[in-house]
Amino acid sequence: MLFNSVQFLVFFFPIVTTLYFVLPQQSRWAMLLVASSYFYMAFVPKYILILVFLIAVDYAAGLLIEGAQGRRRSLYLYLSLVANVATLAVFKYYNFVNENLETLFHGLGLGYHVKNLSWLLPIGLSFHTFQSMSYTIEVYRGKQKAERHLGIYALYVMYYPQLVAGPIERPQNLLHQFHEKKSFDYARVVDGLQLMLWGLFKKCFVADRLGIFVDEIYNNPHAHDGWSFPYVAATYLFAYQIYCDFSGYSDIARGASRVMGIELMENFRYPFSAKSISEFWQRWHISLSTWFKDYLYMPLAYGSITDGVVKPWKLQWYVVVVFLVSGFWHGAGWNYGIWGALHGLFIVCSTVFRRLNARINGTLKTVITFHLVGFTWVLFRANSMADALAIYANIFGGKLDAARSWHELVHNEQLHVGVFVIAVLLVLERIYKSEKLKGSNPLLQKLQFNYAQLYYAALLVLLFMGAPLEERAFIYFQF
Amino acid sequence: MSDLENRVQSVFRRVFSHDSLVLKREMTALDIDGWDSLNHIQLIVALEKEFKVKFKPTDVIGLKNVGEMVDLVRQALAL
Repeated sequence: MLFNSVQFLVFFFPIVTTLYFVLPQQSRWAMLLVASSYFYMAFVPKYILILVFLIAVDYAAGLLIEGAQGRRRSLYLYLSLVANVATLAVFKYYNFVNENLETLFHGLGLGYHVKNLSWLLPIGLSFHTFQSMSYTIEVYRGKQKAERHLGIYALYVMYYPQLVAGPIERPQNLLHQFHEKKSFDYARVVDGLQLMLWGLFKKCFVADRLGIFVDEIYNNPHAHDGWSFPYVAATYLFAYQIYCDFSGYSDIARGASRVMGIELMENFRYPFSAKSISEFWQRWHISLSTWFKDYLYMPLAYGSITDGVVKPWKLQWYVVVVFLVSGFWHGAGWNYGIWGALHGLFIVCSTVFRRLNARINGTLKTVITFHLVGFTWVLFRANSMADALAIYANIFGGKLDAARSWHELVHNEQLHVGVFVIAVLLVLERIYKSEKLKGSNPLLQKLQFNYAQLYYAALLVLLFMGAPLEERAFIYFQF
Repeated sequence: MSDLENRVQSVFRRVFSHDSLVLKREMTALDIDGWDSLNHIQLIVALEKEFKVKFKPTDVIGLKNVGEMVDLVRQALAL
């Protein structure tokens, strides 16, 4: 079920939220679990069995880890990690590895006859396996008590707002909230609904509009061979499309959850204002970047300290490796892996050239960072590595052709719409960030309005008038 | 600012080559230029050296701000 569907907005969300407040505390978890299962099964029903299997394994692992000592603790943790990673490997990476082996064998002149699997990737698999691993690792580290209540643990994995595309929660933040009694708080409900509206605006008004132009160019990478403008324009637009698509999803998830009084972690913090790639990752998909930092990078890096000394090249190597893995987390394709590795390399370069870096003006740093990230978006959006290379060839090798580009800029309606919605986004985000929304002025007070009410009313109007009618899936659903 | 906080501040200044840096408990990596994953490890190593302590690996993971870092040093010294 999509957040931007009538089914969710008109039926699922209001019914589930009403039931949540009407039911007594002791049965809320059961209702949320049934609702979350229904939400998940709206995609491919039988894949719920994967969740049942992983929930059973990780629930048992949590209890066993807590009760064990020494090597047994590690053994139970490894079993949990293997179960999650193996499930992810079979469903997400089997075909990728198989195809690469086939290419390799053929290259060596050898026969290879292993068939690909024809399974669909279970929705949200990369998200909920990571959240489950976060649980068993935190129990192992002694920072989280094992959850005794099987139903509440299942809800931790399956909680519908964040089940299929995050934020990837930590047990310390989420589990205790399911045990607490949340009462109806008008101000909080309004706040949650406003966050949902802001997310829907970003997804439907901005991202989906931009997607029309971006898809046309990226799905036909050779349509304008030899001319750079369309590819450059589509890549700029894609930067805002993916930001609004994914941060929009996170806002709807956080808003829907906040209405019930359950707070989910912040996933985006104005990423395009970052002054370095490293800062970009402190602002973009925060729940994933902190996951990789806490559970992969830090153990590697901290483990490499010997006698109070750590070799910089080791840390740099780990950064590239972790970003490479993070790239493949997004998708089983070389374009994703290289996309991740490039981010790692950029971070390493910025530390190697630290002195030069310190001399660059702050605004210029933001501009450079935005363009470095933009450069890598080509790999992220292209349908294959071959497509990405074709688009790079056009961007950097194609002619600028000023007259033709100007003509396109003046006459392409989709491009006008794209530039317009980005401009609207930037203005509205600026107002959203400012303190102004909290206040009012005497004239508005007389009319019993404040800035926030006007602001959200404007968002609603824009959403109804400006969003494309079709329901477009969220980009991150494919991961 | 306590003596301990002053010493933590001077370690931060050294690691981030920022002589006028003034620490506040609520500061995060986003508030300090150059506080990335690479420098974070250098910071941990420098703090361990300055205070002659050894942090537990699980304690240095997931530190959210300067305040938590100061508390970690204080805890390590108390042991």
